[in-house]
Amino acid sequence: MFRQLRARFGGPLAAAILTLLGIWLIVMVTLPQLQMIDYSLRPNLLPAQVGGPEDGWTLANYITLFNNDIHRAIFFKTLWSSVLVTLLTLAVSYPLAWYLAKVATPRQAALCILLLIVPFWINEILRTYSWFIILAFRGPLNEVLMMLGLIDRPIRFLSGNGGVMVGMVYAYILFMVFPVYNAIESLDDNQVRAARDLGAGTVRTHRRIVIPHAKPGIATGCIMTFMLAAGSYAVPALLGSPGSRWFTQIIYNWFFEGGNWNQGAAYAFLLLVLCIGFMSLVMRVFKVGLGDIAK
Amino acid sequence: MSSVAKASGTGRMSSQRLLAFGLRFYVVVFFAYLFLPLLVMGAATFNDSRFPTVTPWDGTTLRWFGELAADGGMWQALTNSLIVAVGVLVVAVPIGIATALFLNTVSSRAKPFLYALILSPLLTPGVIIGISTLIFWRQFGVSGGIFLTVLGQATFIAAYVMLMVTARLQRFDRTMERAALDLGASQWQMFRRILLPYLKPAIYSAAVIAFLQSFENYNTTLFVVGYDTTLTVYIASKVRTGLTPAVNALGLILILFTVVLAVAYEVKRRREAAGAVKGV
Amino acid sequence: MDGSVRLEEVVMRFGDFTAIERTSLEIGSGEFFSFLGPSGCGKTTLLNIVSGFLVPSEGQVFIGGEPVAGVPVNRRPTAMIFQNLALFPLMTVFENIEFGLEVRGVGRQQRREVSERLLALVALEGSGPKRVTELSGGQKQRVAIARALAVEPRVLLLDEPLSALDLKLRQHMRAELKAIQRKTGITFIYITHDQGEALTMSDRVAVMSAGRIQQVADPMTLYRAPATGFVAAFVGENNRLEARVIDVEGQRQRVRLDGGALGELSGYAGEGARLGNGERVALYVRPEHLRPVNDASGVPRFEAEIEAVHFEGAWVMLETRLLASGEKLRVQLGHEVSRRSADSLAVGRRMAFGYDPADAVVLPDDGSPVVDEATGEVVETDRGATPAGGAHVPSA
Repeated sequence: MFRQLRARFGGPLAAAILTLLGIWLIVMVTLPQLQMIDYSLRPNLLPAQVGGPEDGWTLANYITLFNNDIHRAIFFKTLWSSVLVTLLTLAVSYPLAWYLAKVATPRQAALCILLLIVPFWINEILRTYSWFIILAFRGPLNEVLMMLGLIDRPIRFLSGNGGVMVGMVYAYILFMVFPVYNAIESLDDNQVRAARDLGAGTVRTHRRIVIPHAKPGIATGCIMTFMLAAGSYAVPALLGSPGSRWFTQIIYNWFFEGGNWNQGAAYAFLLLVLCIGFMSLVMRVFKVGLGDIAK
Repeated sequence: MSSVAKASGTGRMSSQRLLAFGLRFYVVVFFAYLFLPLLVMGAATFNDSRFPTVTPWDGTTLRWFGELAADGGMWQALTNSLIVAVGVLVVAVPIGIATALFLNTVSSRAKPFLYALILSPLLTPGVIIGISTLIFWRQFGVSGGIFLTVLGQATFIAAYVMLMVTARLQRFDRTMERAALDLGASQWQMFRRILLPYLKPAIYSAAVIAFLQSFENYNTTLFVVGYDTTLTVYIASKVRTGLTPAVNALGLILILFTVVLAVAYEVKRRREAAGAVKGV
Repeated sequence: MDGSVRLEEVVMRFGDFTAIERTSLEIGSGEFFSFLGPSGCGKTTLLNIVSGFLVPSEGQVFIGGEPVAGVPVNRRPTAMIFQNLALFPLMTVFENIEFGLEVRGVGRQQRREVSERLLALVALEGSGPKRVTELSGGQKQRVAIARALAVEPRVLLLDEPLSALDLKLRQHMRAELKAIQRKTGITFIYITHDQGEALTMSDRVAVMSAGRIQQVADPMTLYRAPATGFVAAFVGENNRLEARVIDVEGQRQRVRLDGGALGELSGYAGEGARLGNGERVALYVRPEHLRPVNDASGVPRFEAEIEAVHFEGAWVMLETRLLASGEKLRVQLGHEVSRRSADSLAVGRRMAFGYDPADAVVLPDDGSPVVDEATGEVVETDRGATPAGGAHVPSA
C-alpha cells in the first residue's frame, strides 16, 4: 500500500497519508471500540481492586440486562419502535422521493430539494424542541384540535411513545428521502412508461419496477434511519416521559448517574450489535453491499 | 427528470389525474409538516409568555432576545461550540482528505476490509462513538471536555469529509498528474499545484459540512463533553430545566444563520455544478 | 544538443503478456519519427518507456547517448503531448505554459518571456491570460505544444495528439506540427494509428504490429517497398493475391508467379526477400496501380466483373471479382481514366485490368493480416505469443 502511495505522491506525502489514516482507524475508531468491549466484559471495580483477584473477564454485565425486566423491556421497545420509525419514515418519504425524481419538473425538484436541505442543516435538538412546543399539553396542536371540536380535553401527547416517534420521523426523514430519491432518479423513465404501456397499474408499476430498482436507496435509508433512531438520545429525552424511556437513556444513566461504566459499556455494545444486526439483515434482504450504501 | 406520471393512457385518465393531484397535495402537506414546527418555534420567541408557546398569545415582545444576550452560560457554550468546531475541522479535514487519496490510489486485497472500517463510523450510533472515546481516553487520564469532544466528533465527521472528497477525486483525470510529472514537477509539486487546487471546492464544502455537523452534534457530544458544555448540550439542558422563550430566541437565530448558510452553500454548489458542465 | 533516442534490446512484459517483443531502434537527433500501428500494437507502451512512465522489463534506453535507466519521469529531457492534451483546466494559458518552468524555480519575469515567445511560435499571441477552458480545440492543441516546448525538451513525445480534432483541423495541424518541428529542431516521436499523419509528417516511420516493429523506413519506401504483408496491407490499400514462384531474376528480384487460375503474373520482391522456386507467396497490387487495359498492352492483366462502383469525387473506386479465381480486386481509377471509360463503369460489366510489374510487390506468404470486413481496416493480428486465456491487455 505504501508503495502505491509513494509511486503517486512521493515518500513524505505517502507517509503523511498513512499516518493520518492510521491515527484515525486505529486510535480513533478501532481501539476505542475494543476498549469498550473490554470494559463491558469486566466487573465494575474500585481503582484499588483493578488487577486484583476480582479483575477478570465476565459476562455479568450482559446477564444484568436479561435479569432486569425493565431494562430488557426497554431494549426490545427501542428495537421495535426504531423499526416502526424506520417503516413510517419510509412510508412518508417514498411518495416524496417519487415526486422529486419522476413527477416534478427539474425546477420544481431543485426548489424542493433546497427546501428539504434547509431543515436538514438545523440542529436535531432544535427540530425536536419545536415539536415539544407543538405537542405540549397546552400547545397549539391541542388548541387547534379543540377549536375544530375534534376533542373536548387536551391530550397528553408527550407522555407516551407517540411523541417520540413523531419527533424521530421528523428528525430523520431526510436520511430516507435522499437515498431513495437518488435511487429512483437513476431509473430510466422509459421503463416506467413501458410498464404503464403494458397495462400495469400504479401499484404494480411501483411494486415490480420502481421499488426493485430503488432497493439500494431504500436499504441505505432504512439502515441510516434505524441507526439514528435506535441511537437517539435527544428525541426521547426531549419528547419522552419517564414512562417512555429509550435504551440510550439507560446507557447514559449507567455512565453518569449509576457511575458503572462497565455496565454502561455492555449496554452500549448491545446497542451496537443491534444496529449491526439490523444492517446485516437489511443488506441480506435487499441483497446490497456496503459499496451501494456509501453514495 | 421528466414527467412520467403525466404520460398515461387515456383509459385511466381520471384515476391517474386523481393520483397526480393526490401526490401534489401530499407534497404540499409534507413541506408544511417540515416547516410548520420551525415557524411555531420561531413565533413563540415573540410571545410575551413565561413559557414558550404560541397559544395563548400574551402579546408581542422582543424581551427574550435581551434575556438571551444576558445569559452568560449561553455565551460560554457558544464559545465552546466554536472551539470544538474549529478543532474538528483541523482534525477531520486532513484525515478525510488523506483517506480519500488512499482509497483512490491503493488497490489491495485488504481494501474491502479497510473500506468497511472507514465507513463504520457513519453506521455507528453517535452515542457509541462518544462512549468508546470516553472509555478509551480514561486510561490516559483524559476525561470529558473539549479535547475529547473534538476527537469524538472528528471520528465520524472525517468519514463525511472522505465521502465528499472522494466524489470529486473520482472525476479527476489522472493524465493531469502524468502531464505535471512529465513537465518536471516533483510529486509534491504535482499534489500542491494540480491535485489540491482541483480538490479545493470539495474540501471547502466538506469543511462547511464538517463545521455544521460539529456545531449541531448532540448524541456523541453528550458523553464526551464533560463540563465544557457546548451550545447544543446547553439548549437541551435548558429545555429540560428552566425553559423560557429565550431558548426560542437562540433557536431562531441559529435557524436564520443556518438557513442563510445553507442557501448560500447550495447556490454556490449549483453554480459550480453548472459551470462544470459547461467548462473543461 | 543531442536529441537522439536509442532503444537497445528493449522488452516489455505485463505479467504473462508481452507488450513489446525484443526491439532495438535508433532515432536520430532532430528527426520526425513516427510509430504507426493499430491500437494495442504496443506503440503507446514504447512511448511510455521513453518518457519514463514505464520501466522496460529488459533492455536499455539512451537519450542523447546517455542511459536513462533510473531517471524518473520528471528528470528526463523529454516532454509529452497527451492524447487528451491534459491541459490544467484551473490555470490560464500562461500558467499552463509556464508550469514546467515554475516547478524548476525559474523566475516570473523569465517565465513570462518564454511563454510569450512560445505563444508567438504557435500563433496564439495575446491568449496568455485566457483560461484554457475558453479555447477551441485547435487552440488547446497549440497550448499543449507550447507547454511541452517550454521545458526545452530534447525529445518531444506526441501520443496521437490530433485524434480529438475534426478532419479539416487535423490536416491543418499536421502542417503546423511539421513546421514547428523544423523551426525548433527537436526530435519528435509521434504515435498514431492514422497512416495519413505518419506518412505526411515523418522523416521515418516504424510500423508496429503485435508488439513487434515490422519495418522502419521513410514513408515513400513503406509505400513502395513494404517489407512484410502487414505493412503492405496496413500502409495504403492493397489487393492481395496468392501465387507460387516459378522464376526469379535479378538483385531486387523480379519474380514470375504462377497465379493458379490467374496464369502467370510478375512483380518485384523486396531486397531481403529470398524467394525460391515453388514457394508460396503473396502478390500485392495497389488499387491505384491498376488500370483498364486492352488485349495488346502486354502487361499482366486480370479479367474481372464489376460488382460495385463508388464515386469518390476525385476518383472512382471499383469493387470487382476476378473471373478466373473468384478473388476480390479493388481498382481505383483517377479522374482522367474514369472520365474516358465512364460508359463502361457499370455494375455487371466485365473489364480487363492490368498493372506495371514494377509497382507490384511479392512477399513470402506470412498469412494475411486480419482485415475488418465492414471497414476494410487492418485490425491487430492475433498474438501468437499470448498464452491461452492470458489475453489481458494493460491499459498503460
